[in-house]
Amino acid sequence: MALNSKGSGNEARHNVLQDRDLQALTEQDLIKAMQEISGYLDITPGDLQEVYVLAYAQAKKRILSREAREIMTWPVYASQEDQPLQEVIELLARTGVAGIPVLDSQDRVSGVISEKDLVQRMQGGGQSFMGLLSACMQSKRCPAVKIKASLARDIMSSPPITAGPDTPLHEIFDMLAENKINRVPVVDGEGGLLGVVSRDDLLQALSVLGVAKS
Amino acid sequence: MNYLQKMKGTTSSPPRVSLSEVFWSWLGSFLGIAAVALVHFRLLSGSELLLVIGSFGASAVLIYGAIKSPLAQPRNLLGGHVISAIIGVTCFQVLGGGALASALAVSLAIAAMHLSKTLHPPGGATALIAVTGGEEIYALGYLYALVPAGSGALLMLAVAVLVNNIPKRRYYPEFWI
Repeated sequence: MALNSKGSGNEARHNVLQDRDLQALTEQDLIKAMQEISGYLDITPGDLQEVYVLAYAQAKKRILSREAREIMTWPVYASQEDQPLQEVIELLARTGVAGIPVLDSQDRVSGVISEKDLVQRMQGGGQSFMGLLSACMQSKRCPAVKIKASLARDIMSSPPITAGPDTPLHEIFDMLAENKINRVPVVDGEGGLLGVVSRDDLLQALSVLGVAKS
Repeated sequence: MNYLQKMKGTTSSPPRVSLSEVFWSWLGSFLGIAAVALVHFRLLSGSELLLVIGSFGASAVLIYGAIKSPLAQPRNLLGGHVISAIIGVTCFQVLGGGALASALAVSLAIAAMHLSKTLHPPGGATALIAVTGGEEIYALGYLYALVPAGSGALLMLAVAVLVNNIPKRRYYPEFWI
């Protein structure tokens, strides 16, 4: 019996777990599994397959509907718009964090500084670290000198892409994928910082689906 | 799938059980029916009471041979027999013997077992026997629901709980309520 997994339009968008993984579960797998249980199981392999597919889709939907507040990291480091960039860099270097939200004078999230933003600025438009390294090797001056005197607001990406505390996981996944970013600040109605969902947080949350090691 | 396509079947028979399972099913059912039969032939032979009815052979298949099935659990065994017995006796008392009473007894018993989550295939037999079982059964009236239906089931259940749990990999019941 062919196994068809019909997800809703929502689920079909997410490459998190290919539906072909579900299709990979054959009646033979189920029959072998049933044979490992010594008693008589009063269900046909076909019905068992149907239950499995439905239960799996249900679990996937539930996991992908978890909200930002459940998986975000808090407390998190943040910088101020008028903070010298050098201080921000030192903070990132010290903490090992790769990106940080930037707050305005009213403590609302107004931007995000990440390694990508820095690489871009130092290169004057290029995107990759390797491009930067290459330019660095070819020049006499360290490209970082260009931005040494900047403030956080000069370098940050703005306006920031943010999520709300009840934004579901699958939407955050889309945000990261479509915008090619690695973290999303979670903000309240006024733009106040509640936490950050990073790519790692997302992978951790999805690891229960067997997608990635936790 | 259209109406006729559905009749072709969509899957396969589940795998065969192990020989160990075959043995324990055999032993359990032998002892279970022996218990009921001994009481019937030795203790009750002079009386108007009976303990052996055909439906217990069917129950034995479930409670010794398919112990994981929801249909084989104590709730279904006891509930199924008692509810079906009551319905069967009622059908007989209202409609007498015959085809209508027979059909109604079984179908109503199934409906009642479904609604009460006590579906147990031998219950259908218990209901039918109440209508077709003959004078010995008719004379019992509603007592039929207790002797043989309820008490026979209870005796077989005791044997099931004791014997089914002997091997390490077997356990019974899956649930009580």
